[in-house]
Amino acid sequence: MNNEKFHHIILSLKDNLYRLALSIVHDKAEAEDIVQDVFLKLWSKKDEWNNIDNAEAYCYRSTKNLALDRLSSRAIRRTESIDSQQESYAFIDSETPHLQFIRKEERSIIYRCIDELSQNQQLVFQLREIDGLSYGDIANVMGISEDLVKITLFRARKKMKELLEKYNDERI
Amino acid sequence: MMKEYEYIRFLLNKYWNCETSVEEEKQLQNFFSGKDIPEDLQKYAPLFKDYKESQLSIRLGNDFVKRLEAAIHQKEKEKQYITIRIFAPVLKIAASILIMVTLGIGIYFLANENKKPYFAETYNDPKAAIKDATYALEKLSEALQKGEEASKETFNELKNLNIDWTALDSMDVETESEAMIEPNEKENL
Repeated sequence: MNNEKFHHIILSLKDNLYRLALSIVHDKAEAEDIVQDVFLKLWSKKDEWNNIDNAEAYCYRSTKNLALDRLSSRAIRRTESIDSQQESYAFIDSETPHLQFIRKEERSIIYRCIDELSQNQQLVFQLREIDGLSYGDIANVMGISEDLVKITLFRARKKMKELLEKYNDERI
Repeated sequence: MMKEYEYIRFLLNKYWNCETSVEEEKQLQNFFSGKDIPEDLQKYAPLFKDYKESQLSIRLGNDFVKRLEAAIHQKEKEKQYITIRIFAPVLKIAASILIMVTLGIGIYFLANENKKPYFAETYNDPKAAIKDATYALEKLSEALQKGEEASKETFNELKNLNIDWTALDSMDVETESEAMIEPNEKENL
């Protein structure tokens, strides 16, 4: 890895790592701080860059570990699971108020479902659905076997399916 | 269209069983992002559309890279001083030792200076010292004796001159009395 690769990693991964950190610590400033620390750590290991085979997975793993460390060392209130204001801006198109209402409802449903998952399930689910990582990479990031990743993801998806069906039935 | 729905249902089943590839999951996301979703599948739409959309809207501020670069720059700067900082305690100890040693040497020399005798011992053999000392004292004694004899001779010579000491003494008185008279005489005139 060289300086160019380092900058490429920063630009391509910064938002993914931020989302991962945010999903763990639920605090924007803290999440941003974590991502910065991960990149600083990677920079300080300049001499070992050649020994890091998968820099992306390394960054994801560092972010996850650092975020979990911070979470355990600080009592962070779970206030910012999603930025509601940013959310509403992202979804304001030319939709009717009725459609907007339904969308808002659906968004809250999805996060209500995700909140029901265990932390490991949430992380594996996010790494797969949002970051599109392979099972091997997720295993590397989570520090578990590929089989365990599949089992965790299977359970997470099954639970999501059940919860979505349940909320759908309630709405009807 | 029906064929597509069937294919989606087939993919969805694979998805629940964790048998889909990343590519197939993208196909599902694309499908649920569209408008023609059969009613029985609409309940899964939030999973493929809204979750991804809302997550992707979560981004770092534009100034993040700038701040990161500033932090890296700061870290590089700190690295340069880190060696000095590591050795700072050692340097402090070394400086203290140096001051103590300097003070010690100074005090040692000052103390020795005070102890130094004014007359240094230059003779190794006490007999030689006594001999030389006796010689020196004898020389001194001789010189004093010569001086005494010379002064005695001078006294004797003075006696032999038969000087009238009283006359010599009164010379001063006379001149004084003259000086006393002079103003009176001037007045009389």
